[in-house]
Amino acid sequence: MAARSTPLRHAPPAGPGPAARRARRWPKVSRALLFAAPGLVIYTAFVLVPLITNVANSFTDLNTFRPSTHWVGLANYRALLDDADFHQALHNTVVLTLIVTILPNVAGLGIAMLLDRSGWFTNALRSVFFVPTVLSAVVVSVVWQKILTDDGLFNRALHAVGVGSPPGWLSDPDLALYSIAFIMSWQVLGFCVVVYLAGLQSIPAELHESAVIDGAGALASFRHVTWPLLAPAVTINTVMLMITGFKAYDYIQVITNGGPGSGTTSTIAFSIVQTAFTGNHVGYAAAMATVMFVGIALLSAGALTVLQRREVTL
Amino acid sequence: MSSSTASWLRPLVSLFLAACFFLPLYLVLVNVFKPSQDIVAHPAALPVPATTANLQAVLDRPDRLFWYGLVNSVEITAFSVTIVVVLSAMLGHYLARTAGLAAKVTLLILLSGLTIPSAVIISSLTRVLDSFGLMGTIPGIVLADVGYYLPFGVFVFMGFVKTVPVEMEQAAAIDGAGYFRTFWQIVFPLMRPATASVFIFLGVWIWNDFLNPLIILGPDTGTTVTVGVYRAIGEHQTDFGALFAFMFLASLPVLVLFLLFQKSFVKGLTSGATKG
Amino acid sequence: MHRPLRLAALVAAAALTAAGCAAGGSSVSGGGGDKVTMTFLTFETPNLNAKYWDDAIARASAKVPGVTIKKLVAPSIDRTGYAKQLAATGQLPDIMIAVNPNGFAQSGQLAPWTDQELADFTYPHANPIGGKVYVLPFNTQPTPLVYYNKQDFAKAGIAAPPTTYADFLADCAKLKDAGINPIVVGGGGNDTFAATYPWVASVGTDVYQGTPDWLSQRADGKVKFDSPDFTKATQKVADLAKAGYIDTAGLSRSYADTEQAFRDNKGAMYPMGSWFAASADQTKPPFDVGVFAWPSDDGRPTVPAYTGGGMSVSSKAPNVDLAKRWALAFMEDKQNLDASVHADGSIIAIKGYIPPTDMGPVYNETLRAYNEAAASGNVVNAFNSETGDGSLPPGMSDVVNSAAVDLISRHKSAQDTVSFLDAQYDKANR
Repeated sequence: MAARSTPLRHAPPAGPGPAARRARRWPKVSRALLFAAPGLVIYTAFVLVPLITNVANSFTDLNTFRPSTHWVGLANYRALLDDADFHQALHNTVVLTLIVTILPNVAGLGIAMLLDRSGWFTNALRSVFFVPTVLSAVVVSVVWQKILTDDGLFNRALHAVGVGSPPGWLSDPDLALYSIAFIMSWQVLGFCVVVYLAGLQSIPAELHESAVIDGAGALASFRHVTWPLLAPAVTINTVMLMITGFKAYDYIQVITNGGPGSGTTSTIAFSIVQTAFTGNHVGYAAAMATVMFVGIALLSAGALTVLQRREVTL
Repeated sequence: MSSSTASWLRPLVSLFLAACFFLPLYLVLVNVFKPSQDIVAHPAALPVPATTANLQAVLDRPDRLFWYGLVNSVEITAFSVTIVVVLSAMLGHYLARTAGLAAKVTLLILLSGLTIPSAVIISSLTRVLDSFGLMGTIPGIVLADVGYYLPFGVFVFMGFVKTVPVEMEQAAAIDGAGYFRTFWQIVFPLMRPATASVFIFLGVWIWNDFLNPLIILGPDTGTTVTVGVYRAIGEHQTDFGALFAFMFLASLPVLVLFLLFQKSFVKGLTSGATKG
Repeated sequence: MHRPLRLAALVAAAALTAAGCAAGGSSVSGGGGDKVTMTFLTFETPNLNAKYWDDAIARASAKVPGVTIKKLVAPSIDRTGYAKQLAATGQLPDIMIAVNPNGFAQSGQLAPWTDQELADFTYPHANPIGGKVYVLPFNTQPTPLVYYNKQDFAKAGIAAPPTTYADFLADCAKLKDAGINPIVVGGGGNDTFAATYPWVASVGTDVYQGTPDWLSQRADGKVKFDSPDFTKATQKVADLAKAGYIDTAGLSRSYADTEQAFRDNKGAMYPMGSWFAASADQTKPPFDVGVFAWPSDDGRPTVPAYTGGGMSVSSKAPNVDLAKRWALAFMEDKQNLDASVHADGSIIAIKGYIPPTDMGPVYNETLRAYNEAAASGNVVNAFNSETGDGSLPPGMSDVVNSAAVDLISRHKSAQDTVSFLDAQYDKANR
């Protein structure tokens, strides 16, 4: 990119001698100090250092209830390998991530196509779908918890229409995880709608028209015109949703506290916080956290690579 | 399906879907303005006559949970967002205008920060903050938030700096303006849309954040309104009116922000969706 | 030129203000000269609301000059979990109430109470850790007793509450035949503890009645959860669930919703801690409430109970002696005790204390059921509430709570549940 040349290079004329060189370098250094350093210092102190100490802690038996701490090598990681609770959390996280990545993506695209008209009506409905996105996960969780408890509004409504024994959306260990996935999907749906809507509206109408002239039906027009041009929107939504699903914590804490029963809705993020702060096994939690970080980094890097390659080839 | 059927069917279907989608929030909204005994009996009915008793009860709590939370939330959000905007605008500009390996590596490290979940670093972060004596303080959580959200700001601003012609900056430099002045006088004003995006998104995220204030802010300094909602659950387990009123008041500022800046919201979200 | 400078100044000013800014909740009047400010961790429930704590704190502070108390409120009823979280982040409160000291005490984070300080308490050595007491044993809570709906019992043709377990099962069957759900439990969200009471009661009758120090034996590895007695107690709960005597809808209910469900006539029996008595007297349900002890096979009136529930003081409090004096003043204040009895149905374990005369019928019946068991030597520990030596390792209580949910929802069999407890016990001790 042409914009790389630095505007200050030409300020003092270059000359021989260390003094001149210092004079030339000084603005460069001061510029770095002034522009880059403050942000980087804070980022290092409050993100990188904790990230690194976390990795270091993962090789110890650090426990807030134990006075002395020892290096334990890879013991924590080895213990993770046959820790059924961790496996369950991992499994739950994967299920949650899959649902939260697919459901709002598909539903969001559908609704965006339905809304793909200009005018105040579309804008108003778009806002309606977007509102949950700006609410906190805590608020959303409380609302849905009140609706989905066994004697909550939803089951009372089901009763009223004649369903004898409606399922325990949050109390059935086999259902609760899916209920949470649904709640999360509901909250992020608006995000997908807005992104897809913008993607759709940026597609020139002539393209559809020419497709129709070429004799393409609605489906073919979607496949050959809409879908390829929506590629960037798909990338944004998919990566955003994957990260949201993978780091789910608030919902679990507020709605089910990891239950019903032992760990049926526990996610990795939730087990990390529980293990570190309630179980006091800080070292062990650090090992989980390291695994999680590596997982999410690989996942998002992988997804970005695949999706962006697709954008290019389409 | 003839096109005339479609022309009235489409808005109808959209409206129906939107209504179903909005139902949970409708339930909260109507029940905020209903006396508690009516909530259990007629949860879905409109609040006629409406009462502000629930809202009043939250505002008049003797422990002032809502007001303390509000003050904290406003302070934390305002400081964090302002500092992130300033620092990430400068850093984003610097990285966009600097060639070389160091800048590339720095960028990579920053971008990897975009994917770090709070849960991963929170335990170690508390130790770092503790060593600075910043646990349980507003500056502590502000610094933690600034660090955590800086990569997002850098990402947005860098994308934008590239659209500002570098010749403009060079011209200003020739006029004798320093780098600092050039940036703030010429470049920063041009990046207003990026600033708006960062402001709005971080505003919403930090306002709604749960884990960081729950753990970093601790009990000493009170809570934010979002953690306040969590705390109110325990006390108002069966008093839906009070709980919903608390949630309504806690969400009101972000809702107002959203309604006022809806266009910027959408623009910020979709800039990537359209040009790729 | 001016704009950027002003902006820079503004940022600097903002940063400075941030650094010097006191946050909202911390505005404590520091006017009182050389007063020591100390933090006090409480928790809020529908029974123990903000006003209850504020009033009690004010009364204690009036007696002990030189202390400014800053009240902290745990964000959920799990104050022990919150205290741990605070300890892990270097913010352990100076004074705490009803926090399980296990783990805190062993790592030297709490100051032990001396015999002299414990002189006024009825059971000064309840739940000791290494021979020392870290929680003021100010009240005894029968956990659980069975509260029942007299109207439902009459409807099902049950004349008197059951005395043997066989009677109990027969009554459950009668209730079910009459279309009444026999047992109400809770267990949703953060309140999984509300699902444990049938189990705690069965462990009382079938394990602790015969082997009072069973849990200490478990700590020493002499017994395991999958030993026959504990398995039998667990199997009883599994059988109740299997027979449809426990309404699983409760497993999604918060604690307060659970109580509401009993009040709304969604079940005839409500195994709950004695604190329900206060609530039932304060706001009477639309039916009469009776109380009986969870029956044992042989009909002995076994009551599981926990004595403690009082204050702990951090060994790192700015002034440990002062903190202790304040905590004792809080605990022994007659008005505070009366308030605790009124609000939470406490059975006070302080010498010479006489409960208020205006207590309601459910509290009085609760007291009677407890005294009856105490007189015949049939009070046992309440499983999962113990806090002394040999009690469950830190973090294990949550495991028991969620295992109770698994058991009642029939997600795990009794055999799987006890094996699970053994595995988790070893893990928590690692």
